[in-house]
Order: sequence, then C-alpha cells, then structure tokens
Amino acid sequence: MADVRLTQIKKSFGQVEVLHGITLDIASGEFISLLGASGCGKTTLLRIVAGLEGVTSGTVEIAGRDVTELPPEKRDIAMMFQSYALLPHLSVSENVRFPLRMRKIGSREEQAEKVRDALETVQLGHLADRKPRQLSGGQQQRVALARAIVSRPQVLLLDEPLSNLDARLREDMQVELIEIHKRLGLTSIFVTHDQEEALSLSDRVVLLNGGKVEQEGAPSEIYSNPATGFASNFLGAANLLPATLTETAAGRAAKLEDGQVFPIETGAGEGGEVTLALRQEDATLCAEGEGQLTGVVAARIYLGARNRYVVKVAGHEVRVLTGTETLYESGARVGLQIDPARIRVLPRD
Amino acid sequence: MVKSISTPMRIATMAFVVFTAIFLLAPLVVVVGVSVSESQFIAFPPSGFSLRWYEEVLGSDAYVGAAWISLRVAILVTLTATFVGGAAAIALHRRKLPFSGALATFFLSPLVLPTIIYAIGMLMLWSAIFGPVSIVTLWLSHTVITIPYVVRTTLAVLSESDPFLEEAAQTMGASRLQRLWLVVVPQCRPGLIAGAFFAFNISFDEAVLALFLRKPGLTTLPVQIYGQLEFSPDPSVAAVSTIMIALTITLILVIDRLLGVQKFASA
Repeated sequence: MADVRLTQIKKSFGQVEVLHGITLDIASGEFISLLGASGCGKTTLLRIVAGLEGVTSGTVEIAGRDVTELPPEKRDIAMMFQSYALLPHLSVSENVRFPLRMRKIGSREEQAEKVRDALETVQLGHLADRKPRQLSGGQQQRVALARAIVSRPQVLLLDEPLSNLDARLREDMQVELIEIHKRLGLTSIFVTHDQEEALSLSDRVVLLNGGKVEQEGAPSEIYSNPATGFASNFLGAANLLPATLTETAAGRAAKLEDGQVFPIETGAGEGGEVTLALRQEDATLCAEGEGQLTGVVAARIYLGARNRYVVKVAGHEVRVLTGTETLYESGARVGLQIDPARIRVLPRD
Repeated sequence: MVKSISTPMRIATMAFVVFTAIFLLAPLVVVVGVSVSESQFIAFPPSGFSLRWYEEVLGSDAYVGAAWISLRVAILVTLTATFVGGAAAIALHRRKLPFSGALATFFLSPLVLPTIIYAIGMLMLWSAIFGPVSIVTLWLSHTVITIPYVVRTTLAVLSESDPFLEEAAQTMGASRLQRLWLVVVPQCRPGLIAGAFFAFNISFDEAVLALFLRKPGLTTLPVQIYGQLEFSPDPSVAAVSTIMIALTITLILVIDRLLGVQKFASA
C-alpha cells in the first residue's frame, strides 16, 4: 500500500499533446476511477503510472519515491488489462505465480501457498491446472485479478478490465472487486468510460475531458453536483437545455429558446445565459398544460418495466424515463412535470 | 434458396478436382509401385512383388553415405535457420527497427531469387574466399534459402498473439531477457516448429545447390538419386524415394501430435 502523487503530468505523442498538466494525489488504500470518453487520456495516464509510457514533463511518485524514470518492472505495481493478457502457454496457477517468480517473492512453497490463496479469493481454486483458453471470459478475468493481487503490489492499476464481460458477470465482478479492495486495501486506479461503474466502485471519481481534469470528487458529490455541462451530460445521461435566467412574480425562472418560462430554485448569476441540466429519471410526462413545460413526443422506446420517451422541447430532444401506466404516442403534445429542485443550472460552456 | 449450379459448370469443377488429385498423387503411386517391383528396370505397372530394391538401397554405401550427409546438413540447417529466422521474425514483428519494411522483404527475398543463380554465386564466392567447398558451404547456403519459411511462419503466429502480453509481463516484474524467453519465445513456438519442419524438408530434398556445391565425398541424397537415374536407372531410385516419402509423412504425424496440423497448415 502506498500513496500515488502525480504532479503536472504532460504527455505528447509527436506534435499532439494528449495530457495537459494533470495533478492528482491518491491516498494510500484509496480506490479512484479515471472516468472519461475514449481519447480523453485516461488510459495514457494509467500507463504513465505503470511506467509503460514515459512523460513529456511532470513527475510520478509512488510511496514518496520519484519513479518517473523507472521502467514498469522496477515499480511495485500490478496491472489488469482489458484483454486480460494471460500467458496462453502457462496454466492458471503458473500465470498467477508469474509475478512472484519475476519479483522473487518467497520460496517455492510460499509462492504455491500465495497462489492458492489468490485463486481461492477469486473462487477459482478448482481450475488451477487449466490453460487460459479452456476458461470462459469471466473466469479468465478472475485469473487476471488473482494474478494482479497475488504479490500485494503497492498500486493496483485496472485498465477497463470489465468492459469485455456481459452485464451480469460485470455486476458480479464489481461486487468482487469492491470486496477484495476492502479486504486488501490496495491503492487502486481504475480506468473506465462507464459512469455507473465508476460511481459504484470508487471512493473518488476523476472525470477527464480532453486531457484535463474536468471535475473530481466523491461519487455522490460528483453525481449530484456536476460542475459543468460536460460533467452533467457524462455523469447522468442528462438532458441539456439552453436557457436565459429571468425573474417572474413567482420568483426565479428560466426562459427557454421558444419563450417557455418555468420556475427554478437554484441559479447562479442573474440574467445570464445558462444550461439547464435535467436527468432523464427526474421528469415525468402528463397531459398538455398540467406540467411546467410543453413538448411533442418524438419517439417512445419500450424498456420492459419502463418507457423512455424522446420529447422535443424548444427544439431540443429531452429524454424522459417513466413508468408504463399511461402511453403517449409519437406526435402527441404532452406536458413535462419537473421538480424544480432537480434542475441544475450550469454556466453555459 | 441457393441458385443451382449449371451442369456443365459442375462437370468442369469435378474434372478440375479429379485432375489435380491425379497429378498430385499418381506420381507417388507410381514411385511406390516401382519400388516393390522384381524387374531390373523402371517399369510401371510393376511386375511381381519384392523388397530386393530396399535391400539394395540399405546395403549400398553410396546411398547410405549420401543419406547420412543429407541428414547431417538438414539437422544443422534446421537448427540455424530456426534460430536466425525466429530471431529475425521477433525483431521484425516489433517494428521498432529502422527500415523494417525493407528488412522484411530482404529476409523473404531468397524465396524469389532463382536458386540456380544463388548456387552459381555461392560457388564462385566460396571458391574465391575459402577454396574448395565443404559441408559448411552447403549448410550455410541451405540456411539462407530456408530462413524465409521460418520468418513467415513465425510472423504469422506472432501477428495473432495478444500484443499486451509483453507489457503485462513487464508490469509483473519481468526483465527484458525474461520477457523474451518466458513470454515471446513460447508464443512463437508453433511458428518455430512449423518453420523448422519446412527447413528440414527443404534442405533434405534440395537438389540445385547440392548439385553445384558437390564434390567427391559430399553428395547429398537427392544428388545421388539424380546421378543414379542418369547413369544406371533401376528401381532402387524408387525405393529411396519411397523411404523419403515415408520420412516426410512421419514428420507430419509427429508435428500433428505436437501442435495439430490445422494450426501448422495455417501458419
């Protein structure tokens, strides 16, 4: 276990700078997610911590030691890859033993013991003698996890390790990851483009955008208080509506581009151009005139227990997730009922 | 529904397949048939059945001596071509070398270079520098013409491997040498084995270089067969050829046992 400190990390590939000076302190034992769309630099940043990629400028410290110039094999880390990267010619237990063998940790017997422990931890003790290709994707995944934790590295790096699994296995693995992290307390850096995964797994989420930190904070904080339109869109499948702040007799309100005015509670700045962010689960549909807003149903998507509507409001598409009690057909004019407290008012990007 | 193929097209296709099979297999059948003939002469269909030509071959110093030389050369060639070709393939695969495209072409060039021209050049070069040819000359020149096969089969296997394995090994603490020996080479293994098989087979049955680089006491089996056929043709030639066919089939079976012919054929 160790803390990781990244200071002013910049990285260029040729003429293109992909990381523009990232500074990040990760406490010992913390589970942190680097969240962002593809191309935002999150994987590059992880590879820099691993030592697989050099920096253009800046420093990487692990446990107070500057490791910027050290190659990966000299850093006390472990990394889980998206492709699992199990050695195909070695058995499951030999794969798990590999880091112990390379780092010369313990005697042969102690290594065998640690391998058994690690495989038990991921509930794969019975498959120790199989070859990786004889295992399912989920099992290979767990072998990769056992191999990553067997040497108790100072830092555990995870590069979208769950993205190749189907939805069910993915949830199981998330639970397993959380439990293992709690038990071992390894400092972990988890790269993902999946906001739900980031929110459910980590102590802290770092949202990256275009090679910069857009926002960071605890999952609940970053989810309920996205600081920018990008953050809000990325974190909650939010609807974004441009509006202008105004005052009405009833109090604070926002005016949409088509002149519709409706009350809001929060609002930074007066009379300014803002973006309203609204999560799709925070609005419901009702008959025209009963809601604060009016729109036209553009599409209805059946999702089993729920329906997702795409409603055109002031020329923008608003997604609304509702129950299936009342159905609205495409082309129908409907009202939108919104709790004013749920609307976030963000400065225009 | 599948559109039906017209009858003439069907017949033409069948004929094509049948003729291909005939021209591929019939010569082998003839050779095996002639080898068990009682007759003094090479004639097909064979008359009678006897193994006397096998006895003749196994008792002949010329044949056994030539086979021994071929075998020694083929084994040496297999070792060196596999080592050099494998190393070249690994280096080429990483694409970190300058001019790696040009280098790849260079390593495959013996495939397109006419062997007879290479043979003449090798003979003149060797004579000018080292004097009389020896088994070493044959070893080196066979190595050159077999390297492309190893390079090709190994590159084919490497191109299908997980590009992150080496990086993964690096994050697990493996040094450069450990990564090469414990990660890269084991991945290359099917390609190396297939390449080694080609190298052995090609060297063992190569005739052009062996003909140019021969001298008394340095006659390989193909050259010996050729000489026999030219000067005193008898079914012993067919018997040797049958033994060579059997050896090849045995090798294929062994390889199949080791890694499966499917994988081998796709390399």
